[in-house]
Amino acid sequence: MSTYILAIETSCDETSASIIKDGREEIATVILSQMKTHANYGGVVPEIASRMHIENITLVLEETLVKANMTMDDITAIAVTYGPGLIGSLLIGLMAAKTLAFIYNKPLIPVHHHAGHIYANNLVKPLEFPLIALVVSGGHTNLFYMPEDYKFKHLGGTLDDAVGEAYDKVARVINVPYPGGPLVDKLAHTGVDTYKLPLPLNDNSYNFSFSGIKSAVINLVHNEKQKGKEINKANMATSFQNRVVEILTKKTMHALKEYNVTNLIVAGGVAANSGLRESLTKECQANDVNLIIPEIKYCTDNAAMIGAAGYYAYKLGRLADLDLNAKASEELK
Amino acid sequence: MKYLFIDSATATLVVAVVVNGEIKYLFNEKVGTDMSSAIMSKISMAFDQAGIVPQDLDKIFAVNGPGSFTGIRVGLTVAKTMAWSLKIPVVPISSLEVIASGTPSSNNIALIDARRGFVYAGGYDKDLTNIFRDKYILLKDIDQQGTYISYDNIVSAIKPNIDILKIIRKHEREPGINPHRLNPNYLKLTEAEENLNKQND
Repeated sequence: MSTYILAIETSCDETSASIIKDGREEIATVILSQMKTHANYGGVVPEIASRMHIENITLVLEETLVKANMTMDDITAIAVTYGPGLIGSLLIGLMAAKTLAFIYNKPLIPVHHHAGHIYANNLVKPLEFPLIALVVSGGHTNLFYMPEDYKFKHLGGTLDDAVGEAYDKVARVINVPYPGGPLVDKLAHTGVDTYKLPLPLNDNSYNFSFSGIKSAVINLVHNEKQKGKEINKANMATSFQNRVVEILTKKTMHALKEYNVTNLIVAGGVAANSGLRESLTKECQANDVNLIIPEIKYCTDNAAMIGAAGYYAYKLGRLADLDLNAKASEELK
Repeated sequence: MKYLFIDSATATLVVAVVVNGEIKYLFNEKVGTDMSSAIMSKISMAFDQAGIVPQDLDKIFAVNGPGSFTGIRVGLTVAKTMAWSLKIPVVPISSLEVIASGTPSSNNIALIDARRGFVYAGGYDKDLTNIFRDKYILLKDIDQQGTYISYDNIVSAIKPNIDILKIIRKHEREPGINPHRLNPNYLKLTEAEENLNKQND
């Protein structure tokens, strides 16, 4: 008998629900993005995000069931992102999931947001183990080693800003509109690497740090302004992107070598970054590594990936009871 | 008729099941910031003790504010999801009306501390008829006379002694609203919205 997971994801500024069959097949997904609203404020405002989630949660759930032509009776279990993320946002999805699990007496599966990003790839092609996963987004920058399904070893992560966050902040400083990450990526292809920026946290650990390079960009912009000059936006974008991509590539390739792994998965919103894609594609080809990057629609936050991950958590019996709480920060184990 | 009542707008969580005008279960205790962990087990217990299942419900009465933004959303998401999924109506109730509900004086002023000298205030008589609309106001600017009632430490305020049956009797005949449209009544914009409005002025 097939397993149908109803998944809910509200960890940041997307209200999303999805129904996933056997961890691999997407039956229906609805994603309601709040991006346009938050653009007015230059970034995600947590309280506004929470307010929009509660306004839309039942509409998104209904549309998902209608799209799938299913009722709650067809659902095997309910998966939900419990963390990490914005606590007020997480709580809306969590409470809706707990309520449905309670009413219909269905198993409740707590899913870590990063596990979701990794398993987004499973909707494209079954994951092959062992693998290294690089999860990069506006809120996260992490490297994981996975020996088998749903076993995660956290190798390292950012010590300060997430990579996507650094992109957005740099975008603001060089006057690129929110969300700046994709636009900086585009600009980077038109410039020349002329600015002397540091290679961030260039050590043997698997940790990252992007606040230093962000400050370096801010200082350069201010120095030029004091001289009555403007920086060259495109050249700054190129210089910044080159450094960020270099360190992400370097540490990821190092992890593959150390763990003797030939499968690499890249996930999260920044997996859409073309500079990162090009660099990793080149290095993986040179080192016989099988690189998997999901389509853009699976890179950004969505509930389909939570349903995919939730299926494997469910098979391992990793369930929660109705006391399940949301966690703003939580390590994936 | 079988009703579920939920109020999570203040640190005191209220969950009740009322069957044919009789309270079958009542939880009315301070749970503080642990609202999201506590609420489902109380609701589950409420159905167990009342000997009914969610599918038996005719209507949900849910407090939609004002109060703690997060607290309101926790209980209201439960009410909204349940009412939507079970296709039953939901009646929004004011947290201030609940606070005023058990006090017999004819001029009750229910208050919730909103910090920095502000309160959420609402006036209700002994029949829970609204005397003045719920509002966000400086405590010192309240000019109506009456009995102050609050869970919070507000000068001269007495503690609430809530009466769930009185609230339900008053609202029982209301048709309720479409659960998709059940949303919090914060009475206050977010700081980000206030700042943006100032910039635009």
